[in-house]
Amino acid sequence: MLKVLIPTLMLAPTIWLSKPKWLWPTTLAHSFLIALISLTWLQNLSESSWASLSPIMATDSISTPLLVLSCWLLPLMILASQNHMAKDPSNFQRAYISLLTSLQFFLILAFGATELIMFYVMFEATLIPTLIIITRWGNQAERLNAGTYFLFYTLAGSLPLLIALLSLQGWTGTMSLLTLPFSDLAPLTPYTSMLWWAACLLAFLVKMPLYGVHLWLPKAHVEAPVAGSMVLAAVLLKLGGYGMMRIMIMLEPLTKQLCYPFIILAMWGIIMTGSICLRQTDLKSLIAYSSVSHMGLVAGGILIQTPWGFTGALILMIAHGLTSSALFCLANTNYERTHSRTMVLARGLQVILPLMAAWWFIASLANLALPPLPNLMGELTIITSLFNWSWWTLILTGAGTLITAGYSLSMFLTTQRGPLPPHILALEPSHTREHLLIALHLLPLLLLILKPELIWGWTA
Amino acid sequence: MLTRMSRLGLALPRLLSRPPSRFVSQSKPTGGAGSAAVTELFPAAGKAEHGEVSEYVKNPDYHGFSSDPVVDQWNMRVGFFFGVSVALVLGSVFVYYLPDHGMRKWSRREAERLIQLREQEGLPLIDKNYYDPSTIILPSTGEE
Repeated sequence: MLKVLIPTLMLAPTIWLSKPKWLWPTTLAHSFLIALISLTWLQNLSESSWASLSPIMATDSISTPLLVLSCWLLPLMILASQNHMAKDPSNFQRAYISLLTSLQFFLILAFGATELIMFYVMFEATLIPTLIIITRWGNQAERLNAGTYFLFYTLAGSLPLLIALLSLQGWTGTMSLLTLPFSDLAPLTPYTSMLWWAACLLAFLVKMPLYGVHLWLPKAHVEAPVAGSMVLAAVLLKLGGYGMMRIMIMLEPLTKQLCYPFIILAMWGIIMTGSICLRQTDLKSLIAYSSVSHMGLVAGGILIQTPWGFTGALILMIAHGLTSSALFCLANTNYERTHSRTMVLARGLQVILPLMAAWWFIASLANLALPPLPNLMGELTIITSLFNWSWWTLILTGAGTLITAGYSLSMFLTTQRGPLPPHILALEPSHTREHLLIALHLLPLLLLILKPELIWGWTA
Repeated sequence: MLTRMSRLGLALPRLLSRPPSRFVSQSKPTGGAGSAAVTELFPAAGKAEHGEVSEYVKNPDYHGFSSDPVVDQWNMRVGFFFGVSVALVLGSVFVYYLPDHGMRKWSRREAERLIQLREQEGLPLIDKNYYDPSTIILPSTGEE
């Protein structure tokens, strides 16, 4: 773990000591090298799934893909923010990159932790840099409101988790993820065990977010600057899914009956948020709601608790992380040119920015899970395992994929095709930087098809 | 009520006569009438918003990284070299040549070899007794 953590910490001197002129290139190169080193986590030689073991940290085949994803996202966030940070004083730029770096540091500690309390602390610690990024560098005044929603939804959800974890420590005397699955829980009365189950999962369901407790997410996404939206969609939501996977194993006998309402809510959420996307006018809000819809499928896959469900959830989390982050970058390229997120005000952009239209096309197809992209692999695996549980789920999941295809195509058609509105005459051409940024999102997605066992989780 | 309506009636033609607000330009209205000139509505191609000169006028090879042409070009080179050449290419090579986890590829090859062998010899693909029964030592049935 230290081979990545120490270079991540050393980004701080790189950020604060390099000349203002060379700040962005040096941090970009440094963070790309960290992403390269992070690939060594994928080398897992152990017979059990745990590797790089140390007293408090370890990786296994569930955390490794998410760890590599968080390391890959930092250089992409730096690339994406370069244009809108160019006008800021250099110290603010340094502070901004430092916050992004600290976010990566906390995420590595959260995904790599074997102690549940350390995981909890790091889970909460990621809130602070994200909150500062949203409320300091957001574009509208509503960002303060969005920050309040973001902070208090997640905090209120995770306080019961702290109590549940502390009581777990009291019963079993350990918080280690390595041994907890093998220790049996203290006998609880039926009601307290239900409460304890709910307390353990609520924080992650809010973070995912499950339909019903998702209201903070569109607000936070819409108001955050592009790097904030990227990291929220790509990694922070996945903290919820990862936490659920970890804690589910310990809740084994309880989950069987208690998970039904949550599975139904997750699948109902796919339909509802998909329908909201169909009539959405705000581009960033559309992508945010589409994230909620996809994460509903992930939540369903995890709650069903079959090996296929877990595998599908992990695949979809990684694929959705890259896809939605790419879509937020694309939305930002539009925003930087038209200064509006409203889709009707920026139609027909294919005529002006044809290569960007190609990126929009690939990203939309990835969002609607076109074969052979890993998005499809994940969705199909989850849908199959849900179908195996109950045939009726196919109505909800099938309608969900249909609606997803509908809004993804409508988003593409609205922004790219059709006549150009008369008020758009002079847009800046697309930059090399933007093409590089989108390519670095979509190429790894395409490369993952060639070696899918990297993101299969325990099944591999 | 009536007086309020009449006041609105007086104001209404004036409100309607005002042209719609400007879409693009942020500059102050010049005339008292507040009419937007065509150049304000549609800025010339060389000008970006907020009255600034577009980066492409200063530097035709602008890559979107920095307003300084030298830094801009170097930043582009750094981005492509470390992002594509190092991270994607070297990373893919590293991941491709990772050792076979759990000997899965080996066991697949071994299974294919065994199937071929047993088919040639006319044996069933897998024996009903996977382990040779003579090698298994069972406890005697009388023991409790």
